[in-house]
Amino acid sequence: MTNSTVDPSDRMVITRVFDAPRELVWKAWTDPKYVMQWWGPRGFTSPVCKMDFRVGGKFLCCMRAPDGQEFWNAGEYHEIVLHEKIVSSMYFSDPEGNKVEPEQYGIEHEAIEGAYDVTLFEDFGNGQTKLTFIGNEPMESAKNSGQLEGWNQILDKVAAVIAEL
Amino acid sequence: MIERLSHGPASVRGLTEPFALSQQMISKHIACLVRARIVTKKKRGRESLCTLRPEAIKAVGEWATNYRRFWEESFDKLDVVVNRMKKEEVGHDKQHR
Repeated sequence: MTNSTVDPSDRMVITRVFDAPRELVWKAWTDPKYVMQWWGPRGFTSPVCKMDFRVGGKFLCCMRAPDGQEFWNAGEYHEIVLHEKIVSSMYFSDPEGNKVEPEQYGIEHEAIEGAYDVTLFEDFGNGQTKLTFIGNEPMESAKNSGQLEGWNQILDKVAAVIAEL
Repeated sequence: MIERLSHGPASVRGLTEPFALSQQMISKHIACLVRARIVTKKKRGRESLCTLRPEAIKAVGEWATNYRRFWEESFDKLDVVVNRMKKEEVGHDKQHR
């Protein structure tokens, strides 16, 4: 057990297979022009989305509820592996991107210190992409997420090379 | 541990016994739950008695559901966006040909 404040049961994993190649899903996820079209639950719109998509860069997205209430989220990118993986953090913010307590939005939420979100993009074959979103990962395991896939890819390449021998 | 506490208050020792963990580890876990205001801890003689705050559990559950809902429903919308992008790309290809 590492000295982590994150309980594994608090993690949230969501996967979805999209009928589109990985580059396209990546683009939809990382270009604010597209993020504004999907950010937020059903019925919500996203009137503002700014993304400085690079390691150490920050993002700021607004979602507007059907009743007009606006919720701002900001965060930072901690690791980016092109077309494969993004490690980021996210918190509630004001319209300038300053962190605010969720209670200000009327949301009861105990922030988990040192928790990161990991987004994985995997080639699912047949032009499909499997997207995995892991919420609340401690940094150590966030770093390691997706490495298995990396290894599998290497093994696939090795197998292909071997097949040609 | 929360499952155990849902049956009623318990001492730290009582909470340690069912787990193959040291009392120190259990105390650390309890401290987290107390900080998160999920559990209250009261000293009673030499023992500490832990009690679950049901309203806290409800709030945490609701937040977790909303957080999940946020992503699930965003993914639904993302699916629409991705499909539209795909069609646009195909359209572009046809124009170029």
